[in-house]
Amino acid sequence: MPKKTRKTCRGLLLTLFGLMIFGQAAEPVAAGERQDSYNYSAWGKAVPAPAAYEATQLINGSEFGGTAFKEPSDLQVAEDGRVYVLDSGNNRIVILDDKFKPLHVIDGFKREGQADGFENPQGFYVTEDGQMFIADTGHARVVHLDAKGELVKIVEKPQSELLAADFQFKPLKVVVDPSDRIYVMAEGVFDGFMEFGSDGVFTSFIGANRVEVDPAEYLWKRLATREQRSRMVMFTPTEFTGFDIDDEGFIYAASASRNGEPIKKLNAQGADILRRQGYYRPQGDMLYDNAKGPSRLIDIDVGDSDMYSVLDAKTGRVFTYNGDGYLLYVFGERGNRLGQFDTPVAIERSGERMLVLDRALGEITQFDVTAYGSTLNEATRSYYIGDEERAAELFQQTAALNANLDYAYAGIGKALLRQDDYAQSAEYFKRSMDKDGYSKAFLLHRKELMRQHFSWIMTTLLLGAAVLAVVHFARKRKGRAVYARIK
Amino acid sequence: MLASSRQAIRHPLHVIFHPFEGFWELKYEHHPKTIRNTALVILALLAITTVLKAQYSGFLVNLNNPNELNSLMEIVYVLVPVVFWCTANWSLTTLMDGEGKFSEIFASTCFALVPLIVIQFPWIWLSQGISLEETSFYHFFNALAAAWSLYLLFVGNMTVHQFTPGKTLLTMFLTVVAMGFMAFLCLLFFSLIQQITSFVYTIYQELVLRG
Repeated sequence: MPKKTRKTCRGLLLTLFGLMIFGQAAEPVAAGERQDSYNYSAWGKAVPAPAAYEATQLINGSEFGGTAFKEPSDLQVAEDGRVYVLDSGNNRIVILDDKFKPLHVIDGFKREGQADGFENPQGFYVTEDGQMFIADTGHARVVHLDAKGELVKIVEKPQSELLAADFQFKPLKVVVDPSDRIYVMAEGVFDGFMEFGSDGVFTSFIGANRVEVDPAEYLWKRLATREQRSRMVMFTPTEFTGFDIDDEGFIYAASASRNGEPIKKLNAQGADILRRQGYYRPQGDMLYDNAKGPSRLIDIDVGDSDMYSVLDAKTGRVFTYNGDGYLLYVFGERGNRLGQFDTPVAIERSGERMLVLDRALGEITQFDVTAYGSTLNEATRSYYIGDEERAAELFQQTAALNANLDYAYAGIGKALLRQDDYAQSAEYFKRSMDKDGYSKAFLLHRKELMRQHFSWIMTTLLLGAAVLAVVHFARKRKGRAVYARIK
Repeated sequence: MLASSRQAIRHPLHVIFHPFEGFWELKYEHHPKTIRNTALVILALLAITTVLKAQYSGFLVNLNNPNELNSLMEIVYVLVPVVFWCTANWSLTTLMDGEGKFSEIFASTCFALVPLIVIQFPWIWLSQGISLEETSFYHFFNALAAAWSLYLLFVGNMTVHQFTPGKTLLTMFLTVVAMGFMAFLCLLFFSLIQQITSFVYTIYQELVLRG
């Protein structure tokens, strides 16, 4: 058989095999995918992992005869799969269908009968019913348009005693919660997000980051004179870089925080309620060289089942975590090939696809889920809804594809625990370094063992005690006898 | 022979429960050779316990990555501090009018480590059968062993050098400082040696490749 034919045959076989196993999944990329991704093991080491997503397509807006994107800065996907692109350089919003065919272009609106437009808008949010909230940065306002592009209201610079007199309102990103409250991330605001009521009136700030002080810099400041100090940079809290909102109205926020928490989940009171039960806290890359520094997270996207992905602008990597804070998979990088970015700015989920927007290249990269990624996603979903049996089955498959994913073993352990197979369960928890789970399974296992072997354990103990007593007694008597003889 | 070997086992156990009497006997009454041998055995046992602990402690209390465990390094982590401590202590106490000889310092230090073996060894195996809540017992007993050993080290030092308690504390503190100095000097020494060897090697290579 010629080499080429053999190769094709093998490819066909692999595809068939992939279809057989994953036939029911929503057309994942064929099995036998690249193995060049990585994950962090429970010991904090970078270990190889199969790719969970693969780049398949590049979209720059001109595919169907439209104008190419120019410095686009935000991207969103509606429930029905329509893709909204905020084309900042062209001051417009482009609405594409799920095949990226342009449907509409919104480059302005009518305000009291007069045409009005956007200027360098940096962020926007599209609600489930298609209403758009645009952070019109250049005009210092947030514009609310309905699904047809008609103006509903405009939120301008708020008047409040909470704000300084010379406050400049520069909205960068905006999200809207299910009860129509508007949250705005504005430039130069260190007090958190600005919260506006559904009527567009400013209410308060929520979720401020804490000030982070570098000890060395603090020392310098203590030593400096007042004049010197006034010329130094002030200690200010880290600004947020991107945010998203989930179905329940919790805000997921990313910031370029070095020492604090770069990812936060904020409730209505602004308290951070992100679960950090994973092997280490969600922060992007865990290992990095000191010259480059840690990840600089620029955008965050929440998916279903509490999964969320963050985009690292420094390395161009996308990190996806589950609701407990375990890192599931990593994909993307900086570079010039398909699946690599120059200046990634936004990430968005569209069903099983992931879209990453690159500002400098003006391109959307579409990533399709691979068999591995889809199994892992499905496992996470099953686990989230409490179907531990199915989750365990899927985690089993995931572990077969990637033995390095320590987290998967805990999922199997949990199902085994429920099936009363305590010894096995403890073993799996051990493999995933899950101490709580291990302890739970082990206690039950210990109890079981004790019950089973109670009779002979107790017999041995009693017999032992009896033997000891007899020996002791005999010695005492012997001692007394010797003593008596001496006497 | 039987009597002396029996004594060699009994004496350390006597020391840990009756330190003042035990260390006195160690210095003035027992045969130095027996004491030295016992001390060496204790040190060996401690090294073995440390290795076993790193390898076989229960999952819930074992923080070592089994893939990176090196028994030789574990042994070094036991031996080097003991040797450093004894050397530093001896160097200091000769200047501070201590009465202890090096062999006595070494023996008393080793005898003070007995609680670490006696407590830690059974806990290696016990820790395999405990739950997460019960690990506090494990940590408590480990802390107890450390505190006990420290106390014995103090008494041993005091008896061997015939110091007052205050002076013993001062000596112990200074010994730790001296250990730091020694570690620094060792590092300096090794790094210099490394530089010199690499320099010599470079010259050798230069000659060989040109010639």
